[in-house]
Amino acid sequence: MKAWKLLGLALVGYSLYAGLMFEVPRLVILNETIRNLYFHVPMWFTMIALLGGSLAYSIRLLRSGDAGQALDLDRDRQAKNFAEVAMVFALLGLFTGMVWAKATWGAYWTADPKLNGTAVTLLIYAAYFVLRGSVDDPEKKARLGAVYNVFAFVLMIVFIGILPRMTDSLHPGNGGNPAFGNYDLDNGMRLVFYPAVLGWIFTGWWIATLRVRLARLTS
Amino acid sequence: MVRAKILAQFIRWEWALEYRRSNGWFLPVLFAAMVGYLVSLLVRQPNPVQWLSLLWITLVFSALQTATRSFSASPSEWLYLNQLARPSELLLGKSMTTALNTVFVAWTGVFLFGLWLGWPRPEGLDAFPIWTFLTSITLGAVAMSTTLSFTAALSSKLSRNTGVMAILSLPLLLPTLLVAMRSSKLALLGEPWTVLYPNWLGELALSALPLALGALLFPYLWRS
Repeated sequence: MKAWKLLGLALVGYSLYAGLMFEVPRLVILNETIRNLYFHVPMWFTMIALLGGSLAYSIRLLRSGDAGQALDLDRDRQAKNFAEVAMVFALLGLFTGMVWAKATWGAYWTADPKLNGTAVTLLIYAAYFVLRGSVDDPEKKARLGAVYNVFAFVLMIVFIGILPRMTDSLHPGNGGNPAFGNYDLDNGMRLVFYPAVLGWIFTGWWIATLRVRLARLTS
Repeated sequence: MVRAKILAQFIRWEWALEYRRSNGWFLPVLFAAMVGYLVSLLVRQPNPVQWLSLLWITLVFSALQTATRSFSASPSEWLYLNQLARPSELLLGKSMTTALNTVFVAWTGVFLFGLWLGWPRPEGLDAFPIWTFLTSITLGAVAMSTTLSFTAALSSKLSRNTGVMAILSLPLLLPTLLVAMRSSKLALLGEPWTVLYPNWLGELALSALPLALGALLFPYLWRS
């Protein structure tokens, strides 16, 4: 087993323990929900990392047919499985966010730009899976899926970039609400947050590669 | 990379073909008119923001109708076009004709909305700010059409593509729609162009981005 996989597990284990047990700043309204930073935010980092991986595999798939050769369909398998695992992390991020929102905002769902960005990302990748599902020929499925994946990823990033500038948001880090940068004094939180992000990215990546290997065996 | 002569010829052809087919440009216009009339029967005296939201919902689905047909040529037609033009010219030509069609449909939609639902009159305004409003609508329609042209090209490759086109396009249209909605809302409230132009630039950028991405990706799509 490679070292980064063990490191990923160790960091996740550490962040689970430290996230629940270590001291955190005491702030009004937020109170103990501030600990959600360690569990909610790493989900989004992991999702973006895995979607980036999926994008890279899609580009490599398209490039593999450049010299008139047959497409490297294994790249398609990788792109699809990475996107699937990314969606699981998106759902986890959504649920951890909704629980937090109920505790602090008083509602599970609001028309907040961050929530809309999540909803659109889920819809875009749901469409990616529908597109793949509606083609039978594996070569065509791989090519159309990869083209859509590249097109959709760029528009999604633009959307996530534009949206918070269009409307105000209640989300920490937007609209003057405190976020991580304001806890500069509390370096204790950084010592848990960064390992958590890294640990979850490694673990997510590992899960995706395991799924790819399983798909190779069953195909 | 793109030859202007081929592009001009391509657009001339498209227009001749569209004009000859009675189900060409007429179908989405009729669609917009029908939805507009339906809305006017269901909603009485909407406030300006509701008026605008209903207008954009109508425009999105009309644009979807317009774009879906844009890549629906027969295989033999495609074979001929492929010999004539390069993939990027093909996409650009199709996007431009789709944009022209969408703008035409959008203008029809706006005037029918004005006719049937009345022109909204925000407080403190003497007249409807038609020029800034139409600019916002036009740029928004162009921005929608470039995204839709690409998803239409994608879904034209599917054998069972009913519904898939809408599923692929609607989430991707959200950034465009939000910028276009904001721009036309400000125009409706009587803001001068000096306030509006950043939004217009946003609409232009959102027209260019799918075109640039499409030009890169279309050759891969067309190879299959």
